[in-house]
Amino acid sequence: MINVSPTMNQDATLNVNALAAEQIALEVKDLSLYYGEKQALFNVDMKIARGQVTAFIGPSGCGKSTLLRCINRMNDLVESCRIDGQILLHNQNIYDKSVDVAALRRRVGMVFQRPNPFPKSIYENVVYGLRLQGINDRRRLDDAVERSLRGAALWDEVKDRLHDNAFGLSGGQQQRLVIARAIAIEPEVLLLDEPTSALDPISTLVIEELINTLKEQYTVVIVTHNMQQAARVSDHTAFMYMGELIEYSDTNTLFTTPSKKKTEDYITGRYG
Amino acid sequence: MEKLNLNKHISGQFNAELDGVLNQVLVMGGLVEQQLGDAITTVHEQDMDKARQIMANDAKVNALEMQIDEECTRIIAKRQPTASDLRLVLAIIKTINDLERIGDSARKIARMVLDNANKTQPPLVSMENMGRRTVKMLHESLDAFARMDVNAAIEVHKEDDKVDREYESIIRELMTFMMEDPRSIPQVLNVMGCARTLERVGDRVQHICEYIIYFVKGKDVRHTSEEDIYKMLDADR
Repeated sequence: MINVSPTMNQDATLNVNALAAEQIALEVKDLSLYYGEKQALFNVDMKIARGQVTAFIGPSGCGKSTLLRCINRMNDLVESCRIDGQILLHNQNIYDKSVDVAALRRRVGMVFQRPNPFPKSIYENVVYGLRLQGINDRRRLDDAVERSLRGAALWDEVKDRLHDNAFGLSGGQQQRLVIARAIAIEPEVLLLDEPTSALDPISTLVIEELINTLKEQYTVVIVTHNMQQAARVSDHTAFMYMGELIEYSDTNTLFTTPSKKKTEDYITGRYG
Repeated sequence: MEKLNLNKHISGQFNAELDGVLNQVLVMGGLVEQQLGDAITTVHEQDMDKARQIMANDAKVNALEMQIDEECTRIIAKRQPTASDLRLVLAIIKTINDLERIGDSARKIARMVLDNANKTQPPLVSMENMGRRTVKMLHESLDAFARMDVNAAIEVHKEDDKVDREYESIIRELMTFMMEDPRSIPQVLNVMGCARTLERVGDRVQHICEYIIYFVKGKDVRHTSEEDIYKMLDADR
């Protein structure tokens, strides 16, 4: 077929199943996860593209949040959890014994469903991670605050009250503050676990717009219950069902011509 | 309809909306088919009453198009259809556009009959054949639409070649008329316009078949040769 207009086939739609090495931010290899006896993930294989937004969708309990949490080893905190397989970040398995988990989490930031600012000022929230790293130089911190808050599209709203308590912000602002806190330490990958499910539609749109700008600097992986949101913000979408990765392709294809019946049934709201 | 899987949405309301709009498309298709069939009969029988009736009925076709369009807009706004649902809504929107234009063709033919009442006509036998063929194609495409049957759609799609050949032979025939008797030129030009409009009906029926394939297979086969259509659909299997 003739490819008439380049704008219609944006270069953003890389083929996720044939990425060149330098386009891969993360590679999940044959990952299985068990909570005690119960297996929650079954041999997941996927490559996540660098500098793009990848969304995980699927019904509750399909393992999408579990998979997301594996990427910065949040599941380590779960007592009975056991993991087989690998996740490669720069060709290094993050589950290798030599990996420092704190260092990993500096490279892979995470934002949760409910905004969880610390009971401190806006300023201190943003620099929290830097202070933990022992950085206390006033000018460096000031720069980081402005850069991060601008990056999280919050600067203009809070620049005059940086030393007010973060709890005075609205829910949508708090969520952007948490994103600012996550990007202050300049991670490579940003994991978003249903970042807008506790927000109103307008704040949701602001966050979605933000996600779109974040991908210029970070690789973003987002879990969402809202399929339209996945369709709007992501470049690639992975559909998961009962712990298995059913279909993974570029978002345009997945939402117009999915190749698997399970995907079709889920995204069109049918029962199988 | 079961093959379409339309009734398996968790939302019963959504099922009903899609069902309703599909039914309206078929009602519209039935009306357009009748209009076109009547128009061709009118040419043959010079039935002025029927011609006027066709002119009047075209308003119904137009109203149906607007009504279905509105219903589709509502579905998109409220349901945000995806995948096959989205393709179905798009296929419907495009199909009714072509149906409306076929309706206009019927109207144009009726208008010609009225304008040329009581004038001598060039013999129209081949024109009637061509007309009957397009009506049959339209009927079969609507049938394929109702069942969303890709194979039937491909069969109808192929038929258009015959319409094109008939059109060419009519043109040759009419040129002979004009050369033999230049006074017949005004009438012949009219008939030529009708032949042209029927040829376009064949193309529009082809479009409807293409939308059926798009809905079922998710492949856009417009502006594609028959051979390549088969290749595209085979690649899918």
